Amino acid sequence: MDIRPILSTLSRHKTAAGLIALEIALSCAIVSNAVFLIGNRLERMAQPSGVAETELLHILLAGTARDADHAALTREDLAALRAVPGVRQVAAVNQVPFQSSSWNTAVNMQPDQTHPTLVGTTYFGSEDLLETLGLRLVAGRDFQPDEYQEFAAFQRSGGESPIPSVILTRDLADRLFPDSEPLGQSIYAWGNRPSRVVGVVEHLIRPNDTVGAPNEREFSMLLPLLAPTEYGSRYLIRADPERRGEVMDAALAALDRVYPSRIVLEEQTGTLEAFRDTYYQEDRAMAWLLVVVCVALLVVTALGIVGLASFWVQQRARQIGVRRALGATRGQILGYFQTENFIIASFGIALGMALAYAINGALMERYELPRLPWQYLPAGALTLWTLGQLAVLGPARRAAAAAPAVATRSV
Amino acid sequence: MLSYYFDLAFRSFRQNKVLTALMVLAIALGIGASMTTLTVFYVLSGDPIPNKSGRLYHPQLDAESMSGYVPGEEPAEQLTRFDAEALVRSGRADRQALMASGAAAVDPEDSRLKPFYVDARYTTADFFPMFDLSFRYGRGWSASEDEARARVAVISRELNDKLFDGADSTGRTVRLDDHEFRVVGVLERWRPVPRFYDLNSERYGEVEQVFVPFSTSRDLQLSRSGSMSCWDDAGGDETGLNAPCVWMQLWVELDSPEKAAGYRAFLENYSEEQRAAGRFERPTNVRLRNVMEWLDYARVVPGDVRLQLWLALGFLLVCLLNTVGLLLAKFLRRSGEVGVRRALGASRRQILSQFLVEAGVIGLAGGVLGLALALLGLWAVRQQPAEYADLAHLDPVMLSTTIAASVVAGLVAGLLPAWHACQISPAMQLKSQ
Amino acid sequence: MLQMQNVSKVYRTELVETHALRQFEIHVREGEFVAVTGPSGSGKTTFLNIAGLLEELSGGSYLLDGVRAETLNDDQRSRLRNEKIGFIFQGFNLIPDLNLFDNVDVPLRYRGLPRADRKARIEAALEQVGLASRMKHYPAELSGGQQQRAAIARALAGEPRLLLADEPTGNLDSHMAREVMELLERLNADGATIVMVTHDPELAARAQRNVHIVDGQASELEAVTVPLRTRSHAGDA
Repeated sequence: MDIRPILSTLSRHKTAAGLIALEIALSCAIVSNAVFLIGNRLERMAQPSGVAETELLHILLAGTARDADHAALTREDLAALRAVPGVRQVAAVNQVPFQSSSWNTAVNMQPDQTHPTLVGTTYFGSEDLLETLGLRLVAGRDFQPDEYQEFAAFQRSGGESPIPSVILTRDLADRLFPDSEPLGQSIYAWGNRPSRVVGVVEHLIRPNDTVGAPNEREFSMLLPLLAPTEYGSRYLIRADPERRGEVMDAALAALDRVYPSRIVLEEQTGTLEAFRDTYYQEDRAMAWLLVVVCVALLVVTALGIVGLASFWVQQRARQIGVRRALGATRGQILGYFQTENFIIASFGIALGMALAYAINGALMERYELPRLPWQYLPAGALTLWTLGQLAVLGPARRAAAAAPAVATRSV
Repeated sequence: MLSYYFDLAFRSFRQNKVLTALMVLAIALGIGASMTTLTVFYVLSGDPIPNKSGRLYHPQLDAESMSGYVPGEEPAEQLTRFDAEALVRSGRADRQALMASGAAAVDPEDSRLKPFYVDARYTTADFFPMFDLSFRYGRGWSASEDEARARVAVISRELNDKLFDGADSTGRTVRLDDHEFRVVGVLERWRPVPRFYDLNSERYGEVEQVFVPFSTSRDLQLSRSGSMSCWDDAGGDETGLNAPCVWMQLWVELDSPEKAAGYRAFLENYSEEQRAAGRFERPTNVRLRNVMEWLDYARVVPGDVRLQLWLALGFLLVCLLNTVGLLLAKFLRRSGEVGVRRALGASRRQILSQFLVEAGVIGLAGGVLGLALALLGLWAVRQQPAEYADLAHLDPVMLSTTIAASVVAGLVAGLLPAWHACQISPAMQLKSQ
Repeated sequence: MLQMQNVSKVYRTELVETHALRQFEIHVREGEFVAVTGPSGSGKTTFLNIAGLLEELSGGSYLLDGVRAETLNDDQRSRLRNEKIGFIFQGFNLIPDLNLFDNVDVPLRYRGLPRADRKARIEAALEQVGLASRMKHYPAELSGGQQQRAAIARALAGEPRLLLADEPTGNLDSHMAREVMELLERLNADGATIVMVTHDPELAARAQRNVHIVDGQASELEAVTVPLRTRSHAGDA
């Protein structure tokens, strides 16, 4: 179908056509950005934590045991936990993923660097931590028993007691040593003494990825330190996923037997899976909200197209009859309205794409979002085109069904 | 005349039920979504302490070492213990209070209750009068009690209900982390939104349940929480007086702009003195922000909430465009009617009024439905895990704004179509019909 | 050219059955100018709709230029209409959003002719009715007579076998009506077959043959004695 006569008709109904085009433009712009945002959230939620989420339990006991020998108590606790049936591995820990509290440190490549290379998070706790977390070692080795020291002792030394070794995530290793093999090299992370990189793990996210930029979420390292207990005792238990409930009950009972009436901090005691769920709840809610808004926008836009197309069909009832009398088939009448809608949608989409980029620019500035990938634009265009065609189908079919005898009816 | 227009409007609605319902629904959806997000935004960006927010200031100093120094960067948001205590001791402001957050185990006298943890705030005497706190029972502690490291505590009404069944507990004992404290006051409920005085955690959370003198808290080594940043090794004592760590908040009350200017000069002077003494290494870089400036600087409203607001406004715009289009269709379909009316002596103004009344009524109907949707939306927000969820309620201001906004939306949407309709010339229509 | 035998048309609603045409017979030969007359409500418009393939018949048979119309589906009828029939309506029925060129173009578009062919036909048709200089004008910018002439140009452009005119002068004043009638007569003189529906006996008298419809049945009136051509020459003189 030739579009010139349709364009000529449209140019005589600029206001109505312009309104629909504008509505399509806004929908196109908002929907492409919203879908992009949804994708971002989903991507964030889908990123691996590196830990065995489905097998891990975390317990936090408040440190009321003020006069106890903390180091001894921790050893006793760990022994008691290991004895619980169903427990595969146990470790003390200073922080866990999906919790708000985190330990961070500047990382330097030289001892007297004035500006730190980057800031990363440090996991430590006890022997077996790497295995208990379920981390995958991709190079090097785990810490050896003689490398560990008490955190309190390290702290008292004023940073002079060397931490001999450190294990990095692959992400962090790549950032610190982009061109060379990280194993055997030294960094300065906490204190003034160098620590040698002895291992690299595949993944390990920060406890809380709101600290630092999005591309720094795996700036994590493990240190051979034994966790301090002054902020409470944190334990990680790795157990059979099916037996997590009973293991948790038995573990709490066992800890109570070791030292009675310690307060369990309920909010931070539970499965890593549950923590993860809570941690991403806002992202999930936001993603759903965006989905709802997208659907609502498309529905409203479709209804607008239906409304205006119906009006046009009614307004042109006589004209359609005349066209039919002059030999137009039903298919040709249908085609006319569909082509007309396609043209209006195309104007809207062209404007919408420009608008989408503008909105994306504003979002990039405020929310550290990446640039909208170009693939979203044709996808958005296709969506709106399809939507327009579907929306106009009803009114256009009604138009095509009009009896040609309308033409001979006197007014 | 107006009643005639209303009559015409209702006739027109009856004739085009589906179209009318569509327009009402579109406005309602747009208004509902916008008012939901706007209410959340309005609550979260509100003034937490309206009577005094212009007179309360949050001083910042740059006490860090030269390591990592970037000229022009903002100083740390918190203070070192040394500086916080020095500034309080100087007493240059009308009132001043330093503070830090912590947590304490409460061991109830009532043996049926298990020990539990509460959030605590370690502060100084001026905290209570400076923030205009009212007491249900008793009072705050005095500066001399700060000095004496007295084991006194102010507790929240909630904790008082739990421990003492709501009775006047002043003079009674509360056990915190195995230490006995004398209750000197019970607060009335206080919920500043946001919790402006310490934005390090739970920006929209509840206020702490226990307040004890800061000096006492250090004396007893009560556990500390919140954010802490150290630039040097503290040798295992990060909360010590000389630790190179920032972890404390300081608020001062300055009753006039002159005093504020004076205090800023004092801060600069203090910073210079510290530099001279070798404690500060960086060039003097101080800030003195009042409450609203501080909240603005701290970007306290969550990014997602802003995003949702923009999203909803965009959605409203689409809904409005939709309504404009449908109204245009509806009004122009009645061109013949307009021609006849004009021929019978209606002026342009009268035609315009007729259609604007119709648009306004649609807006109003959309507003009422939109209000219901906004209430539903806010209910949905309250089911969310966000810490501000329980604050999402419609107040009278937002309620009337909703109705007004939707009528205005209807009128704005009706303006262009009504203008088009009243341009119809009577002759043209009659002839071509 | 046009032959209806025993044609009937029944309109049914829930309450009533209306027999618009009954045992209707008509035969129009090639080159004829036939006027169909009758009082309002007699079935004139129904006849026109059926003749123009705008409506289906309820019974009987209709042969249009050798094609049996009653067996055709909607699309085939559209096609036939487009190729064989040129419509001239009482209300002109020009499309207000299109200029004259585009209006005349409408049936040619539906036929799917190549661009150059269409352009030539449109220009020729508009030339034929004396509106070549108004090609870019919109219908609202023209007088009633000019609009009807444009409508005739639209009917002619497709080179139809049959022109169907429905009260072609009904909306025109006498001066313009004469103009349009003369155009139709000239076309007939050049060989066009024309069937004109009218309630105006004076107009009908100018056709070669009159068919009168009463209560849905046709009755042939006596042939007009004076040859049309003579009359039209007389009119010119």
